[in-house]
This record gives sequence, structure tokens and C-alpha cells, in this order.
Amino acid sequence: VKRRNPSFGPFQSRGRRSIVAILLTFTLVSAISVALSIRTTARSKHQASVVQVAARQRTLAEQYVNDVLLARSGAPADPRNTAMLLKSSVRALQEGGTVPAVDGDDDETEVSAVTDAEVTAQLEQERRLVADLTNTGRALLAHRPVDAVPLTAHERLEPSDPVERLRVLAALTSNVSLNVARTMATTTDRNISNLITLQVLLGVTGLFAFLGLASALIAAGRRQISHFRSLVKSSTDLVLVFGAGGCRYASDSVLKMLGQPSDELLGHGFGKFIHPDDHASVDAACTNGEPHELLFRMRNKFGEWRHVEAYVTDLREDRHIHGVVLNARDVTERARLEEELTRQAFHDGLSGLPNRALFRDRLDQALARSLRTRDALAVLLIDLDNFKQINDSLGHDAGDLLVREVAKRFSGVTRPSDTLARLGGDEFAVLLEAANEAAAVALAGRLVGQLSEPVAIAGRDLMIGASIGLVLHPGGSGNSEELLRHADLAMYAAKEAGGGRWEMFQAEMARAAGELLGLEHELQVGLKRGEVKVHYQPEIEVRTRAIVGVEALARWHSPTRGNVPPDQFIPVAEANGFILRLGEFVLRTACEQTANWRRDGMLPEPFTTWVNLSGVQLSAGGIARLVERVLEETQLPAGMLGLEVTESTLVAEGSVGDRAREELENLRNLGVKIAIDDFGTGVSSLGQLQRFPVDVIKVDRSFIQGVEHDVKNAAIAANLISLAHALGLVAIAEGIESEGQLESMREVDCDLAQGYLFGRPVSAEHAGDLLAAYVGSATSKLVT
Amino acid sequence: VALAALILLLGGCGGSGGVSSQKAATVQVRERDFRISAPKQLPPGEVDLAVHNKGPDDHELLVIRRDGEGEEELPVRRSGLTIDEDGLGPAVVGALEPGEPGVRHLRVKLKPGHYELICNMAGHYYGGMEAEVRVQ
Repeated sequence: VKRRNPSFGPFQSRGRRSIVAILLTFTLVSAISVALSIRTTARSKHQASVVQVAARQRTLAEQYVNDVLLARSGAPADPRNTAMLLKSSVRALQEGGTVPAVDGDDDETEVSAVTDAEVTAQLEQERRLVADLTNTGRALLAHRPVDAVPLTAHERLEPSDPVERLRVLAALTSNVSLNVARTMATTTDRNISNLITLQVLLGVTGLFAFLGLASALIAAGRRQISHFRSLVKSSTDLVLVFGAGGCRYASDSVLKMLGQPSDELLGHGFGKFIHPDDHASVDAACTNGEPHELLFRMRNKFGEWRHVEAYVTDLREDRHIHGVVLNARDVTERARLEEELTRQAFHDGLSGLPNRALFRDRLDQALARSLRTRDALAVLLIDLDNFKQINDSLGHDAGDLLVREVAKRFSGVTRPSDTLARLGGDEFAVLLEAANEAAAVALAGRLVGQLSEPVAIAGRDLMIGASIGLVLHPGGSGNSEELLRHADLAMYAAKEAGGGRWEMFQAEMARAAGELLGLEHELQVGLKRGEVKVHYQPEIEVRTRAIVGVEALARWHSPTRGNVPPDQFIPVAEANGFILRLGEFVLRTACEQTANWRRDGMLPEPFTTWVNLSGVQLSAGGIARLVERVLEETQLPAGMLGLEVTESTLVAEGSVGDRAREELENLRNLGVKIAIDDFGTGVSSLGQLQRFPVDVIKVDRSFIQGVEHDVKNAAIAANLISLAHALGLVAIAEGIESEGQLESMREVDCDLAQGYLFGRPVSAEHAGDLLAAYVGSATSKLVT
Repeated sequence: VALAALILLLGGCGGSGGVSSQKAATVQVRERDFRISAPKQLPPGEVDLAVHNKGPDDHELLVIRRDGEGEEELPVRRSGLTIDEDGLGPAVVGALEPGEPGVRHLRVKLKPGHYELICNMAGHYYGGMEAEVRVQ
């Protein structure tokens, strides 16, 4: 059988078992005592009546002799009744039952059989003697010879005188009866004295049990207290109890930690060891019992501040404690670890400098302070020049060494109160608090100067520069993100200016950068608000000046900016992909409009509406499907739609160009015409033109503008047009502003023309009017 | 245990009875209802009578010297039930008071002659409790 190890149970009373045993003994003793008393009392009462009956026999025996003598002499007497009383009395004593009453003397008595051996023997002798007595008496009364009566009680009666014999027998009976009574009385006495002895013994036992119980209880209590005490004493936890008069108890661990005797700590002396910053919170906890958890610092015997975490238990209502209990633990190591973790989280592992998160935090704090103090502050953003090249050519280890060296040099010229941080890669930043412009500029100069000496890395002396962007915050409210962005702009300015220098942030920088951003956003909003409209510029046949089409052009009228030229907003839309939505809008609007004009019979035959396609739209894919869908939706014949693409789109290399060319092929298969916009300015060789799915080329306006006076331009234009014709393409001259230019085009046999001479881009409404007027006049001309 | 010890102690107190000298001859005397049995002859001098009362009744024992008086009857009290001990005077050389059944000792100094042992409780002598002994 495996023996279980006894578990350590400090809060179980090990004296409990002995207390229970003692209590049981005490109870048992009391029960025995009470039971004995009851039994003895009952028996004594009973025996008293038995003794009385036994004693009565003596009288009855003597009365019997008298009765016999009286009866013999003829006097009235009833010896028989007396004999009956004698006999039945002795029987009742022997066997238990009712003892008959003696007339005028006593009552019937109930007795139970006597069990004592000696008394039983005596009673038996009494019974025999009574028998001998009554037999003798009867013989005497009957005048029979008394000698002849057989005796049963072993008597040897000498005298032969009958009366004397009777008297002797009565005396013997009386004697034994008396002895029975005496023996029984003695037994009762003995029982009672036994009872007294027993009661005394029980009392003494009870007293011992009681004393034992008391001492067991005391021992158990002591043991429990000593358990607690040793737990508290041996525990490294600090246990303190605070009451009305300050500290009321301090465990050994506290004394050991503080190296002070307890009388130094008790009362209000304890406060001396608490960090001044923590006084208020500790005081509050000790007087109110709240908060339940508390962190504070205590100065130990070596004068170190130890971080202590305490659980506060309010036991002021507890009648044993009457105070607030602090259960505290030294968590300094944990606090150090936390600090270390915090440091790691907020520091750059490579340089040991604060990282971006900490820099932002410090900057935010500095701005918050500045809001109160109105102190100016400065942010310097530093980017190493050519760091990427060094990293690529010498490896990352060299790059790391470089960063470390630079960090060291920068640290050398910054004040401890400034925050020098590594934001990542080769980017550093400095935060100067309460600094004026002069200080910031001086620091920027020092930082740049730190890199004038070469850095020795991997056996080489590397020349490295820094571009520094400097931004000043004048004090008051500020935004850390904005400051950093401005510093970044200034830094780029420094970089663009060649690096190895610093630039102070200027408002224009923000404007230049901010414009672009704003335009992008406003264009998106503007398209939704209907600020973007499609305008139409007519195209005419050079030979007849007949209108043969329009070019659809997006026009944006911003409520804040006024009219924004397409060469400003189209690049922005192309840069972020918004051109897809803008392009679709122009396409759909132009197709709808053309279909409407056509329905209204306002269009001459043939007629083409030209829409510009961005390279982005082509390379994004799906433009052919979109065009097909729009044509279907607007019920416009494909032949009435032309799409203009730039030369650069067509000649793009790789998959982008392939996809663009494939899309153009698909569009052309739909029946849509394709034109090359601004032809002649691009880089495509004329030979490539053959391969492109193109119907029309638009000769760039730069060739047209000089065509009257510039022989070279005129020759180029003529050649471009004849080339187009040679390839079976139609040529359109853009930007015709004068009759002379038109004449020139006619001379070189240009097919179509477009320009202010024939009309500026106008709204759909105006274009409609123009078309209606033209068609009307053409018809009337035809009629006339 | 304490209880048992106490009982033992009390019992011990009651147990110490008559101490007999080594020289005295011990004579067994038996009493019962209603007879006394004793040796017919006893040695003279110090005699230790070990009286066994077999009961059931209580009995006493008187040792009465019957010098020279021969056949003379013992004097009887007026009740006619007991012998007049006081009338016998110094003839009563030893007496054991009435007692419950058990063994008791009676030390007597006997001279050569006749003696009578009786129980003088009421009627017992006449009931047959007498024995004659001769000391030689």
C-alpha cells in the first residue's frame, strides 16, 4: 500500500482530532455519570421498599407466634393470615411481584426479584424457616405433636416444648429477615458510596478532559498563529498593516528590505522610505483601502529605489485587523524588464537611437508642451546621400556600419536634450525643443559638417553627404505629421539641389506639392458634380470646307480654380488611374451627343466624332468591350466614332504595347476609326506606321504653325501627309488658325483640318447650333 | 487508567485483615445454618480460629470455657432464645461478632480443659449451633 505524503496544511488545525477526542470523552463521562446516578437512585428507591418488606417479616414472624398462642388459647387471632403474609412476602422478594399489605399498617408494594447472591441464599433460608415455622404453628394449633413436624432449614431443635420450638423458629426467621434487610441496606449503601466514588472519579476525569480541551484549543490556536506568523515571516512578500496611527505592522521581509528596526517603521516613520512622487497614492490607499492595486517605489537599505507592487485589502471593518493590509512584492526586476522591452520597442537596434515611434511620440509631446509654453521647436530630417549605392556595392554589413558611424557622429553634435532618432534606412531626424531658428540652422550646419570627413568602412574611405530638411514650428498648436511632411519636402529640396546641404522649409514647397494632391481630389469630386463637360471642335474637309466631324474634348471648370487646362488635369488623372473613369465619361457623353444629333438630323454625311484615348485606358484592357457597349447603348454606328491615340502608346515596348495594339485591332474590327494624335512628335519610325491598325494621322500643330514661313516645317508636313496617303491613311492638320495655313494644307493635299479658323471647342449646345446652321445652309445650297 | 488505579487502591485498603502470629496453631471452624463444626480436640495455648461462615444467615462465635462445671446448663436469658453471655463473665474467652458469610479469624488463648463454641444469635443456639471441644 502506498503511503501518501502528508500534505502541508497550515490552515488546518492539527489539534482538531485531539479536541474532538477530548470532547467525546467529556460527553461520555457526563453521560455515564448521569446514567449511573439515575440507575442508582432508582435502585436505591426500589431497594428501600424491599428492605422495608424484608424488615416487616421480622415483625410478622413474632406476630405469628403471638397469633398462634392467642388462637390456641381461644382468643381472636388469625395466624393463618399472618402465615400467608409471611409466605407471600418472602415469595415476592424472591421472585418479584406484589407484596400484600398488612392491615392498617401499609399498602401493597410492588417489588422485583432480588438478584444479589448472598441475599438470595438468605431469602431461600427465610422461605424454609417460614415454612418450618408455619408448619410447626399449624401442628400446634391442631394439637398434633410438634416434634413430628419435619424441619427443612437444617435446625436441630433441642427443646421439645412446642411453644419454645415455635419461638425459636420465629427467632430464626426474624433473624434471617433482619439480616436480609441489613444486607440489602448495606448493598444500597455500598452502591451509593460506589456511585459517589464514581461521580468523583468522573468529575475528576471530566476536569482533566476539560483542562485537556482547553489546552488543546490553546495549542491549536497557537499553532495556527505560528503557522501564519511563520508564513508571513518566511515569505518574501512584504506585509504591512496601516491603521489610524500610520503603519501598525511590518513583516520581517519589510524590515530586512529596508534594513530598519520595526520601531523606525511603525507609526508615521514608514513614509520616509516611500518615493516622494508616490506618497499621495500610498497615503490614499492606506487611508481609503483603494485602489486595490498599487505600484510605488521604496528605498531599500542600499538606497536603491525598488519598485513595489501592492495588493490593498481593506480590513478596517475586520475586528481582528482594524486596518488596511498591503501585500506587496518587489517587482523591480520585472519593471526593469519592462523598461528594457519598452526601450527595445522604441529604439533602433542598429544605432541604439530612438526609433520612429519614439520620435513621433516625443514630437507629439513637444507639440503638446509648445501649446502651453508657446516655445518654438525645430525638426531636422536627415537623409544620407548615395546610401543606396554604398549599400548595393559594399553590402548591407557596410551599410549597417555606416549607419552606426553616422549615428555616432550625429550624437556628438546634438545636445542630450535633443532627440536624435533613426527613422529607418538612412533617414535620421532631430527634434530640438525650445529652439530658435539660429540654433536649428547651426545644428544643421554642424550635422552637414560631421560628414565632411570621410568614413572608413571595409577598408575604404567613403565620402558621404547628408541632405537635411529643416522645419521650424513657431510654437502653439501644431501637427506632427505636417511638420514631418514639411521637413521631408525641405529635405527633398536639399537633395534636388545636389545634396550635402540643408534647406529650410518654405511655404512654396508645400504649395507645389499640395497643388497636385488637391487637384487630383477636386477632379474626382468635380466629375461627380458635373464640373467636367465635353466640348466639341469641328473638323472640316480642306478642299470643300465642309464639316466632317468634331473632336470631343474634356473641359473642367472648377468653382475654386476656374477653368483648368487639360494638360494640367489629364496627367494627374493618368497618374492615379482616374483617367479610366474620366475617359469613359467623355466617350459615353460624346457618343450620346452624336447619336442625339444624328437622330435630330443635324449631322452631315459622312461624320466622325473623335474621342481621345489615353495610353492608360488602352493598356488597362477592356476598352474595346467598353466602346462596343457604349455604341450599343447609344445606338451610334461604329463608323461615326473615331478614337485618337498618341504615338507613344502605339510604340510602347513589351506587353503593355502588345496589349494596346491588340485593343486597337479589336476596336478597328468594330468599325471604329483610329487616329494617331500629335503625329510627328514621337519617336516612331515612319516604317512602323504600316504595322499599326490606324486610319488617320493627325499632323501635330507644331508643324502647321510654321508652315507658311518655315520651309523645313512645311517640308515635314508635306512629307507626313504624302506618307499618310502612300499608306492609304487620311491626314488631318491640327491647329489651323489662318487662311494662309489652310491654303498651305490645300497645296500639300491635306485631307482634313481642325483649328480656331473653323471654330474653337464649344459646348454641345453651341456645337449643335453650329451643325444645324451648317447642315441647313448646305441643304439650302443644294436646293438652290 | 486513573479510575482503575483508584479502584485498586480502595480495594487494597479493605483487604488487610487480622494478622496472625506464626506460632499460633490455626484451627478451621465452620459455621452454617444451624451447625458449628470444629475439631474435637485443640492444642492449648494460642490458637487461631479460622471461622468459615457458610451462611446463609449471619453468625457469631463465642468460645466459652466450661471448667469443672461439667454438665451444668449454660445460663439462658429471659427471652429464652439466647445464652446470657454477661452471666458467664470471664468464661467467654473469645467472641466473634455477628457477620455475613465469609472467613474471619478469632485468636484465643486456650488452657487444657473443656470448651464450648456457640452462635448466640437469637434462636441459633437452640437451633443447633453449638460444638464442644477439648483442649489437651
